[in-house]
Amino acid sequence: MSDPMGGTMTRAGAGADTGSTADAAERAHRYRRVRAAMAERELDVLLAFAPGWRRENVRYLTDAALAASAAMALVPAAGEPSAFSARRADLPGIAGAGWVSDVHSLDLPEASALTDRLRAARPNRIGIAHLELLPLMLAQAVRQAVPAAEIVSATALMDDVRLVKSDWEIARMRRTAEVCAAGWQAFVDVLEPGLPEYRIVAEVESELKRLGAEDNFMLIASGGDDVRGMTAPGPRPLERGDMVRTELTPQLNGYWLQICRSAVVGEPSEGQRRSFELFNAAVEAGLSVVRPGVTAHEVAKAQNDVFRARGYGEYCTSQYTRVRGHGHGLHLDETPIIEGNKTVLPEGAVFIVHPNTYTPLAGYHVLGDPVVVTNTGYEVLVATERKLFSTAEPGESAGSTESTASADEGRSS
Amino acid sequence: VKRGLVVLDHAEIPAEEWTDRVRALQERLAVEGIDIAFVYGDVHRSDDIGYLTNLCIYWNEGVLAVPAEGEPVFLTKLSPRVHRWMRRTSTVSELRSGRAFGPLAQELLGGRAPGVLGLVDARRWPSLVVDELAAALPAWELRLLGDLVRDRRVIPSAGELALLRDGGRVVARAARQAGEPGLAPAARVALVESELRGAGFTDVFVTAAAADDGVVSIEITGQYRHGWLRAARLVSGAAGAGGAGGAGGGAGGPAWASVLRAGLAAAIDAASAGASATGVAAAAEPILGELPAGATCYVDWINQADLSTNGEYERHARHTPLPAGTVGAVSVEALFAAGGRAVVADTVLVGDVLADHGGARRLTAVGTGDDGDDEDDGNDGNDGAAR
Repeated sequence: MSDPMGGTMTRAGAGADTGSTADAAERAHRYRRVRAAMAERELDVLLAFAPGWRRENVRYLTDAALAASAAMALVPAAGEPSAFSARRADLPGIAGAGWVSDVHSLDLPEASALTDRLRAARPNRIGIAHLELLPLMLAQAVRQAVPAAEIVSATALMDDVRLVKSDWEIARMRRTAEVCAAGWQAFVDVLEPGLPEYRIVAEVESELKRLGAEDNFMLIASGGDDVRGMTAPGPRPLERGDMVRTELTPQLNGYWLQICRSAVVGEPSEGQRRSFELFNAAVEAGLSVVRPGVTAHEVAKAQNDVFRARGYGEYCTSQYTRVRGHGHGLHLDETPIIEGNKTVLPEGAVFIVHPNTYTPLAGYHVLGDPVVVTNTGYEVLVATERKLFSTAEPGESAGSTESTASADEGRSS
Repeated sequence: VKRGLVVLDHAEIPAEEWTDRVRALQERLAVEGIDIAFVYGDVHRSDDIGYLTNLCIYWNEGVLAVPAEGEPVFLTKLSPRVHRWMRRTSTVSELRSGRAFGPLAQELLGGRAPGVLGLVDARRWPSLVVDELAAALPAWELRLLGDLVRDRRVIPSAGELALLRDGGRVVARAARQAGEPGLAPAARVALVESELRGAGFTDVFVTAAAADDGVVSIEITGQYRHGWLRAARLVSGAAGAGGAGGAGGGAGGPAWASVLRAGLAAAIDAASAGASATGVAAAAEPILGELPAGATCYVDWINQADLSTNGEYERHARHTPLPAGTVGAVSVEALFAAGGRAVVADTVLVGDVLADHGGARRLTAVGTGDDGDDEDDGNDGNDGAAR
């Protein structure tokens, strides 16, 4: 390490040969994919930018957890990559992960370590992943470093590269799935009349962190058929008869996975049961079309057709909610499952099928399972039963309205 | 995503104060000849917008449009179905949703005569959004502005300070509990999450970093309403042994832990009105020279107004004098030659050196009273507080 404020980390011998064989193979696989995509687009340099809320691409290239408000990875068409973080505490972690050996502070606003390497690369064409989020100060630093270079967005390039998960990645996501299930159980266990929404989140978050989650994306809503969507929690205390909905999305070892469920405080009403039946049918319909090569559009349409056939088609429009799921991986909200999205979902793609929307039956309903596309169809990744949970039912065995899907089944033919 | 409590409570911040915040910005706009200002925020960095409206950008991005005269309007990429909730939890009544800010701005300003559009804290705006606005509003002059709103957040109001004190007590309590013996690092993190979120924090970041000798640093950064607090404590890393009374508590623990704590105390002593971040660091340096050979040490002052980004965009401000009444986190961090990291930190209120209680007072120490005086409880974060 160099001087205290410079924060440069150089790890002799770091790189693919310092990790396990599997890690080294995964690193080589990723860099091959990225460089092939760069060659297709005639990029001399790929810069991946990670603002505080979109770190997926830098993580993909470094396999390191980041805390910085700004980080970068630089991949030249040939030669070793470099990584930069504005958070000093990130640097040992990046170097320690062993995927990138040239690690430096991202000293804002000059970003001199980054711009020095950019100049040295003398690129004609640079692709920047998350160029759309690059702050003016960094954009100017890059532009001044290589004034003659053409700069284009590489956000879609990296989205494409990350779409198909390797076995190495899916193994990590299976672990996240276990934490998902435990988080949902903690959610159900804590529900009782009088408990404010934010206290539910506190207990769930505590359990997720106890299990090693790095982060969590979670929205919540409680109440009756007037609930139109989910948000951050408020002070509203739960009442008997409330349906409590959540999207719970822990991140573990970089990988996010979501579970969507709703639970009733007390005995479900007839409307809540009918709502569950409708949404469960939509989930089943969405799952039924999943096979290698299906498009996001087709998965969304299969779900929406259930609503349309039962007279609830208007609740799948932009006036309510159009998104019928989304991809998962190092970002929690990858390609959207929505009508009109022609993205092909090959074997190894991971996404959640969730028809979450409002209907007058019971208000906003949340239900969905994450799946991985297999060579024959799909596999549901979470083991949590798909049912309308109720605090009136003893233990976990309750629920007269249950589906048949679980992590052990669910392959379409 | 921000997933803690979001609430608008006029008993905490009176309605007039919210109005005054917007009015102060509008007066500045009028002076500078700006017809309307846009303030950008995303889930990671939205305190300017929160300060002006109490809006919580719990995910995605948003732009608050503040005309020189009239009511602010919020433009967001979030769905319209959250408008009702946003109106309930903020001072904004007009919200517009869309997929991009260019068309939203065009729609908002379409009926107005072109003038000057100011972008607040422009250097942090996504450059392509700036380009998009320029293309969408060709007749408007886009003017890049400085940190007009952040500058007003640097010294908290009485209401904000009361909230910071409340939050500080919660952080102090959580830090002490997380230092109890017999807990695994993940259990310590879990405990802090439960304490802070259960007390109504909006955002929480907790890390457990280990030094090479097994001592664990629990570092807590949390957002209570729109104020930020940080504390870090040393605890024994091994489950079933040590605890706050070991590495953290003064007696026992490695010698370097005492050095680190003494360095923090010296830095806090130096954090008085008129001092700079550089001066705060300099006060600790002689003490930190006693750390093990090869250790690299950092002393940081980060204003609470900048903690959402850990002050990573404000490093140029290290020589700026600290004003009386400002609140910030003082931290001392060591990276050891053999690997591992340790950190101690507290959030302090900078007093007036000419007043009776000049110097800084810790807000995140257990036993901190309403008057800001600390009561030493033996916890590592509490010794040496300036009085």
